[in-house]
Amino acid sequence: MTPGEWIFIGVMATTLAGTLGAVLSGSLIYALVGLVTAMFGIAGIYIYLNAPFLAMMQILIYVGAISILIAFAIMLAGPMYRRPKEWTSLAKFAAALAVALFSLLLLLKVIMGAVRTASGAKPLVVTTQELGRMFLDRLTLPFELISLLIVVSIIGAVMLALFSKGEK
Amino acid sequence: MTGDLLYNNLHIYLFAALFLLGCGLLGVIYRRTLIGMLISMELIMNGAGLNLVALNSFSQQGNPYGIAFTLFIMGIAAAEAAIALGIIIAVFRRFGHIEGGEIREMKG
Repeated sequence: MTPGEWIFIGVMATTLAGTLGAVLSGSLIYALVGLVTAMFGIAGIYIYLNAPFLAMMQILIYVGAISILIAFAIMLAGPMYRRPKEWTSLAKFAAALAVALFSLLLLLKVIMGAVRTASGAKPLVVTTQELGRMFLDRLTLPFELISLLIVVSIIGAVMLALFSKGEK
Repeated sequence: MTGDLLYNNLHIYLFAALFLLGCGLLGVIYRRTLIGMLISMELIMNGAGLNLVALNSFSQQGNPYGIAFTLFIMGIAAAEAAIALGIIIAVFRRFGHIEGGEIREMKG
């Protein structure tokens, strides 16, 4: 095996471990740390898929912005000792596990059946220049709409946080 | 031959994305607090993005539409996290807790 493959295995293991930590940990802070670990792993996977710009954006947006937002949400939502335990009853966990495993197996079957021809090929190389041209050439309207969406959502979040009523 | 390297195999990326989706689904269903559900939603969105990028990279079409749409997903995820933060603050002010199962009235 080449060194690149060992690094790829490490990146994949980071992603999977971070995902498991984000889902299974009892404390929300540990779940957030797991989410950040998984995001870093996915950034590494994007580099292996020949999309370094996307990897940088992943680190900037998810690790830099969204995890900070979630950390603020954890801090603002009351003190730790009044927080309910994350683990609910075993029956609910079993039901959730059943639903997740069912969808997992179903999609696994779809993947194994449908995407057989594409493996073995070399990944496509997309330069950042090409991507920028695409955004300002063919995808101009969605590109502008997404900035509008972000402005509206930020104003909406501020309105929600400012004008929400207190406790009854 | 670069064709038989481990990271030149499409299925590995699809399985990773599927694992992210399954874990996110599990978390959305069984987490009690809204923030835990939000974290699981982020996992699902990342799985979707990884799926798009992997299929785009191996499609041999030469168009980076998958990468562009993953960037759109990231923008939408940022907007969604901001809105979710606002909603969580509003819910906490009104009810005093952020348990998803205990929020019974939605008015005001």
